[in-house]
Amino acid sequence: MARYLVERSFPPGLGIPVNEEGAASVLGVVGRNAEHGVTWIHSYVSDDKQKTFCVYDGPNPEAIRRAAYCNELPIDKITKVTVLDPYFYR
Amino acid sequence: MIELVERASQLSELAALLAEATAGHGHVAFIGGEAGIGKSALVETFCHAHAEARVLSGACDSLSTPRPLGPLLDMARQTRGPLQRLLSSSSARESIFTALLDELAGVPQPTVLIFEDVHWSDEATLDLLRFLARRLGPLPVLVVATYRDDEVGHRHPLRLLLGDLATTRTVHRLSLPALSLEAVRVLAHGSVLDAAALHRRTAGNPFFVVEALATGDEGIPATVRDAILTRAARLSEPARDALEAAAVLGFRVETTLLTSLLGAREAALDECVGVGFLRAEGAVFSFRHELARQAVHDAISPRRRADLHRLALENLRTTSDDPDGLARLAHHAEMAGDREAVLAYAPAAAKRAVELKAHREATEQYARALRWTSDCRSLERAPLLEGFADHCQLTDRHAEAVGAWNEALEIRRRQGDRRKEGEILRLLARPLWYLGRSREAETSVRAALRVLEPLPPGPELGWTFSELGRLAMTSGQRDAALAWSEKAIGLAEQLGDQGLMAHALNNIGSTKLDYADERGFDDLERSLLVALAANLEDYAGRTYTNLASTAFDICQLPRAERWLEDGLTYTLDHDVETYRLCLTSQLPMLHLRQGRWTEAADEATALLSRPDLSPLYRLRALTTLGQVRARRGDPETWTALDEALALADLDVDLARSGAVQVARVEAALLASDRRRAEAELHALNIAGFEPPNPWAAGELALWRWRLDPLAKPPANIAEPYAQRIAGDWAGAAASWEALGCPYEAAEALADRKDEATLRRALAEFERLGARPMAALVTRRLHELGARGFARGPRPTTRANPAWLTSREMETWRLLAEGLRNAEIADRLSVSTKTIDHHVSAVLAKLGVRSRVEAAKALTVLDVDLRSEKLAQPN
Repeated sequence: MARYLVERSFPPGLGIPVNEEGAASVLGVVGRNAEHGVTWIHSYVSDDKQKTFCVYDGPNPEAIRRAAYCNELPIDKITKVTVLDPYFYR
Repeated sequence: MIELVERASQLSELAALLAEATAGHGHVAFIGGEAGIGKSALVETFCHAHAEARVLSGACDSLSTPRPLGPLLDMARQTRGPLQRLLSSSSARESIFTALLDELAGVPQPTVLIFEDVHWSDEATLDLLRFLARRLGPLPVLVVATYRDDEVGHRHPLRLLLGDLATTRTVHRLSLPALSLEAVRVLAHGSVLDAAALHRRTAGNPFFVVEALATGDEGIPATVRDAILTRAARLSEPARDALEAAAVLGFRVETTLLTSLLGAREAALDECVGVGFLRAEGAVFSFRHELARQAVHDAISPRRRADLHRLALENLRTTSDDPDGLARLAHHAEMAGDREAVLAYAPAAAKRAVELKAHREATEQYARALRWTSDCRSLERAPLLEGFADHCQLTDRHAEAVGAWNEALEIRRRQGDRRKEGEILRLLARPLWYLGRSREAETSVRAALRVLEPLPPGPELGWTFSELGRLAMTSGQRDAALAWSEKAIGLAEQLGDQGLMAHALNNIGSTKLDYADERGFDDLERSLLVALAANLEDYAGRTYTNLASTAFDICQLPRAERWLEDGLTYTLDHDVETYRLCLTSQLPMLHLRQGRWTEAADEATALLSRPDLSPLYRLRALTTLGQVRARRGDPETWTALDEALALADLDVDLARSGAVQVARVEAALLASDRRRAEAELHALNIAGFEPPNPWAAGELALWRWRLDPLAKPPANIAEPYAQRIAGDWAGAAASWEALGCPYEAAEALADRKDEATLRRALAEFERLGARPMAALVTRRLHELGARGFARGPRPTTRANPAWLTSREMETWRLLAEGLRNAEIADRLSVSTKTIDHHVSAVLAKLGVRSRVEAAKALTVLDVDLRSEKLAQPN
């Protein structure tokens, strides 16, 4: 298992409504990810909603791609990352 | 009948599967759980509840070397028909397996086939389970196989079988958990023992619970063994003698044998049954549980145990002349310490195992015989060593094979048998080659030649010629390879040896193709026909592999794909697992070339997840995975390529390691790391890698040219590469497109510095998901002043809801148009069997039962597609 950062672009702007429909679609994503051994940790969204940076745990890049595909989400770039925390060195 | 607790859900799952079987859809259920968890009890309860089904049951025994096809022998006795006749007449395995299918299809009722304790299974029975799992679909059969999952480790053959069957839709896994405290309370109702303490001590193991309860008021025994021995101690002496005799004879003992063994009286046996140690089942007594037998057996004093085995041996010898009793006789002989008997029965048991292709068991029987001939100088040891070595190879025990061959060689030399000496020297080469000791392998074959040449020609000499041809071929010496193989063919014709003919034709064809002489295909196809006609399944498998890989090596992708598909179907039908694996290992490379990267990566990952994968296949899979990641710009590219390189270093075969290095050069350039690319290329130059194959040479020349545009390419490289290096980007692109290689075609377009061409290249790179090249082309477009690149349509699930491969998609479309399988096969130019497989896969992945439903699903999809103009994914 490793941690991956996925960059995505949404030219029309990402829109997830803050209501039941939005919640259901987000949980649907979580469920589909689980089928491929991928866990969505969280995402960072740009102000104009055209770019997101999504953090995942998964076994390999191919699983990340497969899960993204099943969730109909685009991928610009995948990077493998490890977490660095300012308080780590204390 | 035991009352079961907490097993309702497993019983209903089995009932559902039986209902499906009754409707004509066969299934296999593997039931796993620790010893004593109640697997047999579950199966028994299930069968009692479904009296409408016919039940045939067989068990694997815990003999140190099991009887090949033991459970099937048990079942055959219950059917008494053609199956039993075939089994007792030492027929070929294929006819036995087919007879079983006929037996199952021939009765209107559903059949439940029970295989107990398959963790002790012999290899032939595992093959039978695989055979059944793949062919049960249309039969009214439920196969139930129980096993101790805590005894099936990582490399256990059953684990490998379960892995192979993991994607087979008719195979299901159930597992039985330990009893909860509540359940133990129910069972302990009315006993003086404290349920909570009992639950703790037994960890909820049903057998232990029941045994502990049976010991009653003496407190909870510390272990199952203690529980059993405590109860055994309470038996009268004659009963205890009878129990010990039964324990030595095995889990199931024929009544006649037991009574003649000790003159054991009815009363003594009745007592054992009454107390619950034994069960009477017609002509057979069986232990209520293997754990009980084991505990009793281990507690017998060694001397008495040996005596009992000796008595058993004497009795069995006289009463049964059944070839399948040989394994049992050999077992008792060894336990009795009877050298003569071991040497009489073990080799015969080995031969029987060989007939049934139970290679593991054959190897074990030979090893057993060898244990009893420790006198190294003895001549009788040589054929045993040879049999052992031969079978070690078939079970991947290559190092032991080498040891045994060398020992046999010593003996034959001393004996002065030159022919045998030569044969062994040749046979030594194969395991040495597998171990990566290629130089020693060659030395050995050359020594064989020196020994055999002066003698009158025979098959040993022919095979030595062919082996020399093969070695020359793998080390790139074309003329030597052709010459040796021609000599082998000459001798094969003289001797009428079809196997040798097929082998030698194979070498010739492969060698010619290695030098881009397409007449080689004719030789290979001839070799295939010889093998198919003579029903030499292994040779046929090997030739399919060669055809596919040589077609691939000269970039004839449609041909390679055809041979791969036909070969996969053949090896599946004929259960030739080694070559099936070999063919499977070629799929990723083919798909990479075709631009089908997701399939390539998925197949490579599937291969890499097999624990027993040979270094060569690992190398190939890792290289392809690394290339996919490099071309996509994904992480862990170098993880894969570094591991691949480490594997390549192990081998002297330069062709293998060269391919990885070339992939590393490409990966470095895609990551814009010029310095690294140069370093990797330098390593290649030092190793002196100059592949004779024009395609491999072309690829290498291309990277050299990319790093040094003034480098002059060698003369004999494949045309598309030569075109590109010469600056003919259009010619190169057209050539690659004609060959069906979209990525290479786009790379050629990207050489051109005009906007329209670059836009075409960009569109293709985006379709393929080739981020680094797309970025490169985008930069070039910016430099030219071009603006405004709209992203192409996004790939989406709705275009491929069930993750079907493109072949499966094509099949789906044609199926929905109403075409029958034979018509689809015609349309796509593949065999009908291949389409059968694709159709099964489509139905399974879509989760539908019929073609009609599949067609409906496609209409829904098409509506979506038309309304949104979605692109096909890569």
